[in-house]
Amino acid sequence: MHIPDGYLSPQTCGALGVAMVPLWATAASRVRRVVTRRFVPGLAVAAAFSFLVMMFNIPVPGGTTAHAVGAVLIAVLLGPWAAVIAVSVALAIQALFFGDGGVLSFGANAFNMAFVMPFVGYGVYRLVGGSTPVDARRRALAAGLGGYVGLNVAALAAAVEFGVQPTWFHTADGTPLYAPFHLAQTVPAMAIAHLLVAGVAEFAVTAGVVAYLQRANPALLAINHHAVEAAVEPAGVEGPTWWVRWRWALVGLGVMVLATPIGLLAPGGAFGEDAPGDLDLGRYGLQAVPEGLNRYNGLWSHALLGDYGFGEGQNATVGYLVSAVVGIAVIAVVVVAAVGLLRLLRRRAEPSAVRDEALAG
Amino acid sequence: MSAPRPETPAWLLRPEPGLCACGCVGRRRRGSFLDATLRATTAAVARVLFDDDEASLDLPLQRIDPAVKILAATVLLLAAALVHHVVVLVALSIALLALAAGCGLPAGRLARRVWFTVPAFTALLVVPAMFSFVTTGEVVVPLGSWFGHPVGLTRQGLTAALLLVTRVGACLTVALLLTTTTRWDRLLGGARRLGVPRAIVMVASMAYRYLGTLLETVADLFTARKARTVNPSDATEGRRFVAASAGTLFGASHHLATEVHEAMIARGYTGEPRLLARARVRRVDVVWLLGALLGAASAMGIDRVVLG
Repeated sequence: MHIPDGYLSPQTCGALGVAMVPLWATAASRVRRVVTRRFVPGLAVAAAFSFLVMMFNIPVPGGTTAHAVGAVLIAVLLGPWAAVIAVSVALAIQALFFGDGGVLSFGANAFNMAFVMPFVGYGVYRLVGGSTPVDARRRALAAGLGGYVGLNVAALAAAVEFGVQPTWFHTADGTPLYAPFHLAQTVPAMAIAHLLVAGVAEFAVTAGVVAYLQRANPALLAINHHAVEAAVEPAGVEGPTWWVRWRWALVGLGVMVLATPIGLLAPGGAFGEDAPGDLDLGRYGLQAVPEGLNRYNGLWSHALLGDYGFGEGQNATVGYLVSAVVGIAVIAVVVVAAVGLLRLLRRRAEPSAVRDEALAG
Repeated sequence: MSAPRPETPAWLLRPEPGLCACGCVGRRRRGSFLDATLRATTAAVARVLFDDDEASLDLPLQRIDPAVKILAATVLLLAAALVHHVVVLVALSIALLALAAGCGLPAGRLARRVWFTVPAFTALLVVPAMFSFVTTGEVVVPLGSWFGHPVGLTRQGLTAALLLVTRVGACLTVALLLTTTTRWDRLLGGARRLGVPRAIVMVASMAYRYLGTLLETVADLFTARKARTVNPSDATEGRRFVAASAGTLFGASHHLATEVHEAMIARGYTGEPRLLARARVRRVDVVWLLGALLGAASAMGIDRVVLG
């Protein structure tokens, strides 16, 4: 994601560099207020750590390796404003000493990786982590998700920066002056690479480091989690019930259920979902509905809630709501059954562990 | 009855990948995260050490005031980013390499470093942009037709690809000339004189200093792991190790920051960083800056006036 010089116009680089100036100033002032005299050595070593995290190669599915950016990890460990400075300094060292990322495009790289990524990722971390104890498993998962989402949003920002170049900066005959790919190409290309490979590495490193520190050195997690306590459950006292632990997820699902009728307001139909009779044949250069489409259309005619509503199409809004609730319930049953089956299989696969537990108990 | 004789396990007798340089022994696994990280770490250490050596040589480019050099490089980078013609970018790159050779720098190595890294990657990346389905325009190399429209390489696509590769190469040449001829401390001193806040300069300076220390820690962690690896670990185990290493490194970094802070306090640090004020602009520095301005103006003039 390090953008070298030459890919972006000087105007784009200038605009993003100028956008970063107040962010750097705010970051310096906020971090200095918190860590006072330790500002310089603390951030210097954090910047060196940030540089090194980018060098860690991690195995990803498919037999290859990838490296993480680590901006969300630093945001989780030290706070997002500290991450702005640490990652910016790491990017400067990379650009000036290793030719990784450009000098003119430094502002753009800092915008994507030192601002967008840590803030988006940290937001997701706070949202998913909620008020759980600092050593809760959910926090490690939240950090991993933050890393995954933060990296992908930063990649999207880079894709947009690339994708606007040929539209905005070209010669009179249409020759692109900088990155030649349009948004229709840059967004999917960056999305595929980051959703499938780089994001996995970012998730693994971010979640893995938080989980490791929870086990091995929880004091380090306390640096940015002053207000969050570790879980201390007195013996014999039960934890919160499942619906308390999942209340925010349930609220989110409820909001989404209530929002489903919005689809009725949208004009037109979804791409590729027209009934054969509604097809605009001329648009696709067809004389008639293809035979195969006619044959297989309506193959399954026993849907309970056809077209997400009742048989005659009455009370469309209520039909949408009922469809949403039924859909969620069916998916929940399938997921719970699958998880239960997996647990059962795992328990059977580890007879010795179970036996040991029984002996110890 | 005698006890059964202990046998060496089969996995211990299997040849270890990498024992033979030609690869004839053992199974090679592509993308070993241990090797990849070790290679990157070693290369980084070598680069840090070697570049500092080269930047400390007593040669004309190294002697220029770093603030002047940053300004000159910025002007040249802007010129390289603004020109519209491939020929101007090629001429600019050649002129910069000639300047490096004239100043006693190994121009061949510089050219290899420039043209075998980012532009080579860019050249591969930009191939699809040459085709009419990405960059529309006048098809000069037809490869077929699609719904009656000719498909192939377009003049605009080919020009855009060449423009991008040469632009990236020219920009990288300027950046490398700046960084390989200026020590990190002088570069940051120059940045400070150009208005970068003192605290940020000090953070960057110390980050670079402690990068070497932490690089050694990483190299030690991965070398120790490699030395104890008899059988290649699976990906899940590898990810767990990398996460534990990064966590350990964070702990070491935090410990280092505390020690450095205490050392600074012991030496009278009060929270206000002070940098050594030195270097003043000499006549020769002004000449260099004027030369860079003239070079950038010439490139822009030829690009906009002569070539249109």
